[in-house]
Amino acid sequence: MVNDNGQLYTIEGVAASMIMLFTIYLVLGATSVYTPGDAHISDMQLEQTGTDALRMMNTPKNGSAGTSPLQDIINDLSPNTFTPIAPATNAFDPTNPFNIMFMNYVNNKTGNEMDDLHYTANVTYYDISKKTTGSLLLASNRNLSGGEHPVRVTEWVIIDKPVPGDGTRTQPRAVLVEVLLWRD
Amino acid sequence: MAGLNDDAQWIVMMGFVISFSFFFLAMILNQSTVVGQTTAESVLDFPKNDIRDVRSVIINSSEIGDPDYVHNDIVNISLFRKNAVVNYSCNPTGCTKPYTISIHYNNGVTAYNETYTSP
Repeated sequence: MVNDNGQLYTIEGVAASMIMLFTIYLVLGATSVYTPGDAHISDMQLEQTGTDALRMMNTPKNGSAGTSPLQDIINDLSPNTFTPIAPATNAFDPTNPFNIMFMNYVNNKTGNEMDDLHYTANVTYYDISKKTTGSLLLASNRNLSGGEHPVRVTEWVIIDKPVPGDGTRTQPRAVLVEVLLWRD
Repeated sequence: MAGLNDDAQWIVMMGFVISFSFFFLAMILNQSTVVGQTTAESVLDFPKNDIRDVRSVIINSSEIGDPDYVHNDIVNISLFRKNAVVNYSCNPTGCTKPYTISIHYNNGVTAYNETYTSP
């Protein structure tokens, strides 16, 4: 015969083990979602910083009519009125005007220490003859290796120079400045 | 239940109460961490900056007479690089003042329509 002593203790043991398993499951779940949740919050702030910096660069000096510094930088990618814009030859040079201005805006902090953000900036244009978009390197202070977690910020700019595929047409064009911005 | 020792029932009950309270605390802790994630995600998903950008470039281009090439660039680059359908038209054509622009933006989740009136 099976001994039926201690049935309540057995039930209590089973109930307690269920509760412990559930608790461990919930606690483990809580710690694993913490990291991605945290990353999204700082992404949001990084995106705002970058967008604000580009917006400031695309504001004409004195706030009046005329070209903005960002428009000048992109227009300068072409040597004359009839040559399409080309990738910047000094993209990795720290004295590149885009680099100086953008780093000044995004890296400024209260106090003497500067922030250390990395970026890669491209200019995207629409090629009419190929009916597709193309990108030209504008400036960068770090190569993308694939391990970063960048955010993308963009700004529309209207330029006076032709883009690749235009030949020597000289109508104004709209291009999109795309910046990948990250911190590591 | 014959022969079962029924001493210490209070202690057993308190054990249950405490283990249940742990269970609910763990559930609250689990939920609290996702809150920041969903908030930030919904802020990132909403194309606030895209809409402001495209609106500002459309108004800028209307100041120089809404050139065809710029119009074409804005529509195509928005579609290729931002997955957004953008269309706009100036009335009267060529944006001679005073004019209105009807702006349409749709990225599949968020739609934005505006009629801008020139000053």
